[in-house]
Formats: sequence, C-alpha cells, structure tokens
Amino acid sequence: MPKAVAILGAAALPVGKWQTPSDSPTQLLEHEVLASLVVDATRDGGVERTDIGSLAFSLPRPYTQQKYFGTFMANYLRLPCGACVSETMGNGMTAGLAFEAACNEIRLGRTKVALALGINFETATSAAEHMMRSMRTTGDVDFHVPFGFTPISWYAMDAARYIHEFKSSREELASVAVKNRRHASLNPLAQFRKPITLEEVLSQAPIVEPLGLYEVPPRSDGAVCLVLADEDVARASGRPYVRIRGRGFYHEGAHQINEIPNDMIALLAARTAGRSAYEEAGVTPEDIDLAEVYAPCTIIEVLVSEALGFAPRGKGAAMAKAGETTLGGRIPICTSGGLQSRGHPAYVTPFYSFVEVMDQLRNRAGQRQVQNARLAVTSAELGNYNAALVHVFEAVQ
Amino acid sequence: MNLPVISIGRKRSFPPRVTAHTERFWRSLENGQFETSQCNDCGKKTFPPKPFCPHCWSKDLTWAPLGRFGRLYSQTVIHAAPAVFRSEAPYRVCIVDLDEGLRLATLLMADQPPVLDARLEIVALRYLDGPLFAARPLPHSSHLVSELLPPS
Ligand SMILES: [Zn+2]
Repeated sequence: MPKAVAILGAAALPVGKWQTPSDSPTQLLEHEVLASLVVDATRDGGVERTDIGSLAFSLPRPYTQQKYFGTFMANYLRLPCGACVSETMGNGMTAGLAFEAACNEIRLGRTKVALALGINFETATSAAEHMMRSMRTTGDVDFHVPFGFTPISWYAMDAARYIHEFKSSREELASVAVKNRRHASLNPLAQFRKPITLEEVLSQAPIVEPLGLYEVPPRSDGAVCLVLADEDVARASGRPYVRIRGRGFYHEGAHQINEIPNDMIALLAARTAGRSAYEEAGVTPEDIDLAEVYAPCTIIEVLVSEALGFAPRGKGAAMAKAGETTLGGRIPICTSGGLQSRGHPAYVTPFYSFVEVMDQLRNRAGQRQVQNARLAVTSAELGNYNAALVHVFEAVQ
Repeated sequence: MNLPVISIGRKRSFPPRVTAHTERFWRSLENGQFETSQCNDCGKKTFPPKPFCPHCWSKDLTWAPLGRFGRLYSQTVIHAAPAVFRSEAPYRVCIVDLDEGLRLATLLMADQPPVLDARLEIVALRYLDGPLFAARPLPHSSHLVSELLPPS
C-alpha cells in the first residue's frame, strides 16, 4: 500500500523580475535565493534538516550559469540524502513532474520527508532571444517552426476555434484576464497587482490574434520550495496540512496537433487525467471548492474549466464572464491571479499552483481566502494540453 | 505537378533540416509535388513523412501523392515573433485538415482571414534556398467542380 503524501509547508519568492543582467557588478544568484527559501520552507513545515531524505528539483533555465544545479545545491545546503536527488525537465509541466518525483520517494517508503523545489530566472534575457529557444519547444522543429509558430500561437488557434464553434467572443475570453488580475491584487506573490478593466484588456496590442498583451503570460522569475512528508509525519506534527487525495496523468500521444484531425479544444488529456484524479480521490467536480489550473492564456483557463468538469462544453467563457469563477463565485479558479497576473516563471509555475492550494486549504490566503475550502484541484500540461497532470488536494485540520 | 508553385525572392527564415528520409519530400515539393509516406502494411498515410508508420510501427513504407485540398481548422496572426521572423511579422499561420484525413500546420497566405472551415489548397513556395509549403483560400466559395480538375 503506497504511503499517503502531505504538503507540510512552503516558501516562495514573489513572482517578478529578479534576474540581474550578466554585466551587473552585483548579481542575484539562483543558489543563494533558493537556499534561503529552503530554510524558510522547512521552518514553515516544522521539520528538521536531518529529516529530509530527498531533493526533487525542477531544471533551471539555460540562462542559469551554475549547471548540474541540483547536485550543486545538495552541496551548498550540506544535505546528505538517502533517497533520490534529481533534476527534472518537462516544459510547462517541469515543476509538476518534480513534485511527483518527491512524492514518489515518499510513496515508495524511501524517505519520510522530501523537498520539491526549483528556481526559474530568465527575465534578463531579451524576449527576441528567449523566443529563439521557446519556438523550438512546441510543434515540430522542421515541419512547424519554419513557418514561425510560437508557443502561444497554438493557444491563439484554440481561441479562434472556440469562438467559431461555440459562438463565444473575445470579450468573454478577455473577462478571464480581468478576473485573474483582481485575484492577483489580493496576492502578495503576484507579479501584476493593479486591477484592470475589460476595456483595458481589449485595447492592448495584439500578440497572437485574437489575444492581446493581457491575455497571454508575462515573462517572469520565480522560486519555490515545498516540504512534502509521509502523512504519518504530517499527522504527528499536530499542524494543519494538505493531503494528496488523487492524481491523474495522460499523454494523448500528440504534440501540438494530432496528425489525425481531432477535437483540439476538448483537451482530451485534461479530461482523462482529471477523471483519473477524481476517481482516485472518490470525488466529483461538484465537490471541489477551488481550482488552480495551468493556463498560460485566457482561452486555456476556459478550456480546462470545461475539461475538468466545472463548466458544460462551450459554456466556460460565458461562465467566467458571469463571475462564476471569481472569488465568491460558484467555483473560484486561479485565486492566485493565474499565469497572466500572478506571473509565469515557466519551469516553476506548477509549484506556485501547489503553494496557492496549500495556502487556501490551510486557511491562510488572507483577503483571497475561499471560505471553508476543503478540496482543491491543480493541473499542469505539455504542448497544447497534449498531456496533463491533475491533482486533487484535501485540507486536514 | 499537383501543387501550384509560388516563387519567393528571398531565403527561408528558419530552414528545415533535411534527412536521408525527408530529402525526397522536400525535393518533390520544390518541383510542385506534394507527397508523403504511406504504410504498405496498414495502408495509412502519415504527415510529416516518417521512416516508419506511427499507426502500426511497420518499417515497410512507400511514397504516395497527397491531395492538396482541405479546410481551415483554425488560424491566427502572430505579432510577437522570434528574432529570425521579426521582419516578417505580423504573419498569418493556420491548421489545415486535408481531405485525406491528415492535419498539418503551415503559413496561411490570405490578406483577409477566411472564416474557419473554409476550403483551402496547399501551394508550394519556392524560396531562393529551397522550398516550403503554405495554404491559401480557394478563390471562390463553391469549388466542387474546380477541385476535380487538375491545376492548369
Ligand atoms: Zn501502418
């Protein structure tokens, strides 16, 4: 019988622009920032450094000069580990997979406490240069990239298809950005906190039509350390904690587009992974109190809300516009501010989702607290949601 | 030739790599032929062309012509472009569902956005350094007859 895993504590850097230019006389370096968070997180979780038996890192960006970052950090922290020290990569799912790596060491009984942690510093690198790399992370380098596709251009095509099929509108989709900014205004970890209006969202420069600047993710730096433990340890601590109640993963065997025409905006992977997670947790979407989904663009939040069962097919955008996914609404989504406003340090973004869920389920989310939050859902993805990782979390007092 | 060929007086911004297997695809495209790999075991075509069949994992493949007609599944205009495409931005790209039941993504040569599901044709683009392909709307909305005719 695998061990149940709990999140005991966390520490996170407010998302923003932290990376110093390479010619700056004084540098802010990744290992110093992350080590400080490790110390804070272990204090928050109430564990001793000697309890920690495993470190599961997300891979840093290529702009991080210190390579083999995870094993370097084990040295920097002077932390001998009897279970795995690993560094994981999986595009936008990177931090989700690192979280899984830490959980698995606990599930297999190899350690009672593990850290899932990482840092994503990239903002000192220009967008044009960054995009020369990122354009090769989606689609096919030889059969798509030569036409100039960018990662978010695929989401834009989801938006065009959604508007066409369901008679939705850019206004409906843009309402998600307004809602997320309102949530971010209440989140000290968020990158953009000044509230915005629908008119302001609609009047921004187009980035990938029909999406404008406020409907796509910013570039961001961030760092997080999560403390995970065998539930026996969590229970013995006498503190409130968050238990993983279900998880699901599915890869549809496609990357960006399926060469056999399919319903691209049904997000089959999110539907399948979500169903597995709900089944393992023994819950239904109606039982969930909040969802913190990986949604780089407004349209993706709408599509995931439908795929995870929070809205009927084709109604997600209208539901967002009607306020049902806002704090105080029927099912609050992305109470952190989401990727558009909390920010998107891509390789650690799913860590921030887990932090938000932990804060909500431990009843310490301040002004953005969802009342009586007991069950929460997170998601992470690859490609154009060609793969999805979904978790169901439960508050334990 | 089964594709109209359009000459473009510059080099490609990000040329595809050519392998011993895909070389035939790009050489045919340069000559206005659209073709791909087809499985001798299960009979299915695959795109992009591959040295094996992704449907049954057979390695027994042949080359077969690919029809140029399809419909527009989705499209966007990219304004924020990577450095090598910056001088072309904004540019229009799309997803096409070919009539033969294959989906691909490519440039969309259209001044005005066609409505989704509109009929499209694939064209060969002959750049100074090699070929690419693109999609463009058919010139009028009813193409049932013209599609049966070979291109002039
Ligand atoms: Zn086959």
